[in-house]
Amino acid sequence: MTPALERARRRRAWSPGDAAGAVVLTGLAALALVVLVAPLLVVVLISFDGREYIGFPPERLSLRWYQALWGHAQLIDAAKVSLRVALDVTLAGVVLGVPAAYALVRGTFPGRTVAGAFLVAPQMMPGLVIGVAVLFFGAYFAFRASHLMLILSLTVFCLPFVIRIAMARLAGLDPALEEASAALGAGRFETFLRVTLPQVAGAVLGAAAVVFIEAFDNVTVALFTASARARPLAVELYYLVQYDSSPLVAAVSAFEILLAFLAVAVASRTIGLERIGR
Amino acid sequence: MSAPAVTWTDAAWVRRIVRGRGIWPAVPALLYVFVMLAVPLAVLFAFGFLTIDRGRVIPGSFTVAHYQRILTDSLSWLLFWRSFRLGVATTLLCLVLGYPVAYLYTLVGPAARKLLLIAVISPLLTSALVRTYAWLVILGGRRGLLNTVLLRLGIVDTPLRILNTDWAVLIGLTQVHLPFMILPLIAALASRDRFLEEASANLGASRLETFLRVVVPLSLPGIAAGTALVFALSYTNFIIPQLLGGGTYSTVAVKVYEQTIVILDWATGAVLAALLLGSCFVLVLLITWTANRAMAWREGTR
Repeated sequence: MTPALERARRRRAWSPGDAAGAVVLTGLAALALVVLVAPLLVVVLISFDGREYIGFPPERLSLRWYQALWGHAQLIDAAKVSLRVALDVTLAGVVLGVPAAYALVRGTFPGRTVAGAFLVAPQMMPGLVIGVAVLFFGAYFAFRASHLMLILSLTVFCLPFVIRIAMARLAGLDPALEEASAALGAGRFETFLRVTLPQVAGAVLGAAAVVFIEAFDNVTVALFTASARARPLAVELYYLVQYDSSPLVAAVSAFEILLAFLAVAVASRTIGLERIGR
Repeated sequence: MSAPAVTWTDAAWVRRIVRGRGIWPAVPALLYVFVMLAVPLAVLFAFGFLTIDRGRVIPGSFTVAHYQRILTDSLSWLLFWRSFRLGVATTLLCLVLGYPVAYLYTLVGPAARKLLLIAVISPLLTSALVRTYAWLVILGGRRGLLNTVLLRLGIVDTPLRILNTDWAVLIGLTQVHLPFMILPLIAALASRDRFLEEASANLGASRLETFLRVVVPLSLPGIAAGTALVFALSYTNFIIPQLLGGGTYSTVAVKVYEQTIVILDWATGAVLAALLLGSCFVLVLLITWTANRAMAWREGTR
């Protein structure tokens, strides 16, 4: 912006229409932010309510629901299942996704665009449809809903996150470093491992954080593919929300919110917050 | 690989090796998505044309009876109409609420930007179930937060009944999908050419005119992306209508869940899921087509 333009802009007076527009715009933005953030605050707040039921404002602050949570074997077991599943999904997603992103960015094979679109297609697919499709697929080939089915179905759901984040980072790399490595005699695999991978390690960590939280929280796919014997926390919570009216659910939710903030912190340091969205 | 007999004059050759890499690192992922998504989708479509008895397919039982039954049932059309209305209303509400946030993002300093992003991303990474539960608490009954506040301030005399209505579902869908609208809008608005706004102002346009006739048209790609995404997600969501709409509230997505998990009528579930996916696809294409037309029109009037 040149100084002359800057001055011209400052000189311009606000018309009543401008002022009204600014007020409406600011008001809507404020409302949007309240709608976005208030639910999280409310949940955390009522998780500290000492009463049997949910009410406002919370009275008798206490940690009783966190104690109840600690002693709730079903929820603790579900959390363990979720933890295992989310770790496995993250590992599978990174192992499958990072090389795929590399091929899509550096490769020159025909049909790259189609292959790329195919690989991120699961993200365009409603979770409900993936869940139902995998359930029917499993039934048709006589695989039961199980730990493995849950991991397999969540991996397909989460793979696009890794591929997109890794692709964005790889596209920003200077190919000269890889060229130098090849020129100095390193093979393709060695170059990938020792030159390319260290440069994208941060982005991969960020992608892993996003995938972990997506797999941990997923309920739309998991409702269809998890077995009844080893329910993940999200599915357990889905049933609990429907019949339990105590602040216990809020205490579980507060933990999930904490987990989300940890993921945000990791992702913001590694890939930048702008890149997390789809 | 043999010893390096290359010099920098062979750079083109080196480049070919490094860049001309084949498809193979992507092969495992491609196979995986094929087996875990393409094949299951094929099975899903096939199930709509088969007779299934308690999860077992009766061999050689091709039939269009399920499609016939569902397409002639007025209840299905009612459900599709409700899903469609909810999807459209959610998308418009997200656009109206999200656009100002994205626009504000491009006007403020780096610290405020970071805060805004945290406010948008933290809910995005928080379980949708948790956020839906929060609305259950906020909107719920007489003791709900909203009614407590409204009654205490004397704005209403009797508690509002919002939970278990379309409104609760709409509020829940909007909150959960708002980040998916804001992020593409931020991407589109942040990359716009500010000089066009200067030019508009210097040519005598008011701020409002500049906003409506320069900024908004420039952000059309973001509007298109956000609108398509939010519509597709809210049209097919079943958790939020189930929890906030109450026990008897149903949409196509809720029906798909009930048929496959609760009632175990898999053929009906498969038909409804296929119709839901197909109609979602067509509507998203329609949104993209409209946006492209609008962008072409924008180019034409410049």
